[in-house]
Amino acid sequence: MTHLLSLHDVSKIFAQSKHEVRAVDEVSLDVDEGECLAVVGESGSGKSTLANMILGIYPPSIGTISFRGEVLPGKRELAHRRAIQLVQQNPLSSLNPQRSIGASLRLPLDVHGLGERSQRSDRVGQLLEEVGLPADYAGRSPASLSGGQRQRVAIARALACESDLVVLDEPTSALDVLVQARVLKLLNDLRRKRGLTYVFITHDLSVVRNIADRVAVFERGRLVELNPTGKVFSDPDHAYTRRLIGAVPVVTAEEVRLRNHLMKKENVSA
Amino acid sequence: MTAPTLLIRDLYLAFRGWAGQIDVLHGISLHINKGERVALVGESGSGKSVTARIILGLLQQTRSARVSGLVAFEGRALAKLTEAERHRLRGNRISMIFQDPMSSLNPVYRIGEQFHEVLKRAEPRIAPAAAREKAAAALADVAIPDPNRALDSYAFQLSGGMNQRVMIAMALANEPSLLIADEPGTALDVTVQAQTLELMRDLVAKHHTSVLFISHNLGVVREFADRVYVIYKGRIVEHGRTADLFADPRHPYTRALLAAVPRITGEGVPEIDDVSEDYFQPLVVHEGCAEPEVTG
Amino acid sequence: MKRTLFILLRNPLSVLGLILVGTVVLSAVFADFIAPFPSHRGAVVDFANFNKAPEWPYIFGTDLVGRDLFSRILYAYRISLLLGVVVLAIAVPVGVTIGLVAGYVGGWIEYVLMRITDVFLSIPPLVLALSMMGLLEPTLTNGMLAVTVMWWPWYTRLVYNLTRSEKEEGYVLAAEVIGASRAHMIFREILPNCVPSILTKMTLDLGFVILIASSLSFLGLGVQPPTPDLGSMVADGAKYLPDSWWLTVFPGLAILVAVFGFNLLGDALRDVLGAEQ
Repeated sequence: MTHLLSLHDVSKIFAQSKHEVRAVDEVSLDVDEGECLAVVGESGSGKSTLANMILGIYPPSIGTISFRGEVLPGKRELAHRRAIQLVQQNPLSSLNPQRSIGASLRLPLDVHGLGERSQRSDRVGQLLEEVGLPADYAGRSPASLSGGQRQRVAIARALACESDLVVLDEPTSALDVLVQARVLKLLNDLRRKRGLTYVFITHDLSVVRNIADRVAVFERGRLVELNPTGKVFSDPDHAYTRRLIGAVPVVTAEEVRLRNHLMKKENVSA
Repeated sequence: MTAPTLLIRDLYLAFRGWAGQIDVLHGISLHINKGERVALVGESGSGKSVTARIILGLLQQTRSARVSGLVAFEGRALAKLTEAERHRLRGNRISMIFQDPMSSLNPVYRIGEQFHEVLKRAEPRIAPAAAREKAAAALADVAIPDPNRALDSYAFQLSGGMNQRVMIAMALANEPSLLIADEPGTALDVTVQAQTLELMRDLVAKHHTSVLFISHNLGVVREFADRVYVIYKGRIVEHGRTADLFADPRHPYTRALLAAVPRITGEGVPEIDDVSEDYFQPLVVHEGCAEPEVTG
Repeated sequence: MKRTLFILLRNPLSVLGLILVGTVVLSAVFADFIAPFPSHRGAVVDFANFNKAPEWPYIFGTDLVGRDLFSRILYAYRISLLLGVVVLAIAVPVGVTIGLVAGYVGGWIEYVLMRITDVFLSIPPLVLALSMMGLLEPTLTNGMLAVTVMWWPWYTRLVYNLTRSEKEEGYVLAAEVIGASRAHMIFREILPNCVPSILTKMTLDLGFVILIASSLSFLGLGVQPPTPDLGSMVADGAKYLPDSWWLTVFPGLAILVAVFGFNLLGDALRDVLGAEQ
C-alpha cells in the first residue's frame, strides 16, 4: 500500500552568514490516508520548516517528498497545490483584511476551476455552513468576525480546494480555550466526514493527546520519536518527549499523577 | 490588621467610542494580601488586562475612558494621589512583567543600561558601579549563568527565556510590594515557560512580593497562584483558593472553562457551548474568601 | 460611515482640513458662478479700476490692469487642481505598479527597478523641472511633465516598502498555497492593502504639486499669462510691496490655504484609513 505522503531522508539547509543551519535533518516519515499525525516541537525544532516543505513553499535541500507514491517536483503543479492545503496559526493575518470573506473563499474555486462558475457563490455559502457559519457571512469583512469565526473561515478555505491533506499549523494556539475546544471538535468532525488527513503542527501536547493518532516529536531538526499517541503519553521512548509532557500546565489531579509518573521514569533512566 | 497590598472595590470602566459607550468592567472587586499570589483568569476581552492598566494608573488619563470605583494600594486610594505620586509608585513599588520579553526590552540599549534606569526609579542618585553590582546580583538571582556578560549584551543577543529572566530580575530589582504579571511567558516555549514560572514563584516567595497574575491559561494559574478570580465579560464570576476552585468549580463559566482544557490523560475533545446565558450567573465565592472591609 | 465621521469630527484639525479643501475644490469647480467677474480670468483691461485696494465689489482688490483678484484666484485654483490631478493621475499608477512588482517579485528585477528609482529620487523635482525647461520650451506642459517624471519614484518607494511587509502576511502565504497567479497576488491581494497609504500620500501630494506648480510660475516657467496662476500672481505683485500689498498677500494666502488644507486632510485620512487595521 502506498502512503498518502512520504518524506525520504529530507533535510533543509539554510545558509547563514558564517555557517549552515540544518533546520530539518534527515527526516523520514509517512503519513497514511485519513490519519492525524501530530508534529510536536519547540521553537527551532524545524516543525515549521517541515510544514513549508510539505506545502511546497520551498523544496527540500536533500531528499524527496512523495504524494501518493509520486515524487513531488520542486516547482509544484496546480493539482498538487490543490491536494495539500494549509490552516495557519493566526486567523487575523491569514485572511486579507481588504477582501470579503466570500472573495477569500472563492479564490480557490476560481484558481482550480472547481464547479460551474455560476454556482460558485452558492458553493461559498455551503462551505461557510459546513464550518458552522451562516452563509451570508460571505459579504462580511474579516474585521467583523471573532478570532474563532475567522479560523473557521480559514478552515473553509482549505476545504474549498477539496484537498486530501491539510497542514494545520498551530490552528488553535491563538484562540481562547472555549473557542479552541469548538474548533478542535469541528476539525475532528470534518476529518471523519470528509476522510481528510491532517498534519497537525503544534507545541501544545494536551491538544495532541486528544486529536492525533500518531505523534512525531522534533528536537533541533531531528525526528526523535514517532509513536502512536497512546504510547507517547504512557511510555515515551525519548527523554525529550518526557520533558515536554512534564512541562505541560495541567488542570486535574489525574494529569499531575501522569506527569509525575513520566518524570519519575526520566529520573530513573537518567 | 494591615491593609491589603491591593484592594479593588466596585471598579467600573467604560470607553466612549463612535458606537456610543462600551462597558468593559461592570464593578469588579478583588484584593491581594501581602505576599499573596492572586490570579485573574479570563479569556481575551474579559477585561483582565485593562484592570492591570488601571492599577498602574495608565488608563485614568485616557480621554475616552471612564473609570470609577476604588483602587487602593497599601491602604491609599490611587485616585487621591497626585499624578507625580502615582508616577513614583510605578516601576518602584508596583512593577510589571509583560507577555513578550523581546518587545518590552529596548533593542538599542544594553541590558546593563536599562537595568541602571530601573534602579534609578528607586534610588535616583545610584552610582553606575553600584547599580551594576546590584544588577549583577539580581541577574544571578534569576539563575543567569554569567550576569556580567548578560549586562553587556543587547536583548536580541539573548534567548527568549533569558530575556524573560532579565525582565523578572528588573521587575523585582526595586523590591516592589506588588508585581503585576500579564500573561508572562506565553510567548515562550513550554519547557522554558515552566522554568521561568518556577523561578518567579520562588523569588516572590523569598521577597514576600504580592503578585497579580493575569492569564488565560488555567494550567499555569493552577501551578502559580494561591487564590483565583475568574473574570467573564467584565464581571468576576468565581473566587476561591486555587485548590478549592480547581477541585470544585461552581460557576457555570468556570466549569465550561475547565472542561474546555484538553487533558493529557486523553478525555477527547470536549463539547462546549461558546456562549451561554448561564455564564452571566452571579458571583460564586468559596468559603473563607470574602472581600475585606474597606477602612479609612 | 458613522465611524469615519466620528474619527474625523473628533479632531478639530481634521475638520479644518476638510473645510479648507472643500472651499478650494468648490471654488475651483463653481468658479463660473462664484466669481463676480468671470471674464477677468483672461486678458481684460480696466484702467478705471486698476491697482485698487480691497473694497466692494473687489473684495481682494484689483491687479495692475484692473482685473478682480478674487475672481482670478478662483480660476487659478481651477488650474492648480487640474495640474495636481493630472500629475498624480500619471505618476501614481506608474509608481505604484513599479513598486508592487519590485517588492513582490524580488531578485534582479527588484534590484534594477529600485536602483532606477533611486537615481530619480536623488534629483530634486524643482531642479529637474528647471533644467528640462532650459532644454525644452518653458511651457506649462513641459513643466508638469518634469514634475510628473520626478513624482512617481516616491510612490514606488512607498509601495515597495508596503509590499515587502505585506508579503510576510499570512493571507499572501494562503493565496500562494492555493496556487493563485502572480497578477492576482499583486493586484488583488497586496494592492488593496496599500490603497489607504497611497490615498493618504496622494492627498498630501496634491498640496505639494500645487506648491511646485506655483514655484515654477513664480519663476516664470509655468502657467503663461493671461491664464491666472497663484505663483505668477505672487511674482508680479512682489515688485509693488509693500504699497500694493493685496497683490501678493491674497494669492499667497490662497496657496497657503490649499497646501495647508490638503496636509491636514491627508493626516485626517491617515487617521480614518489607518485605524482600520
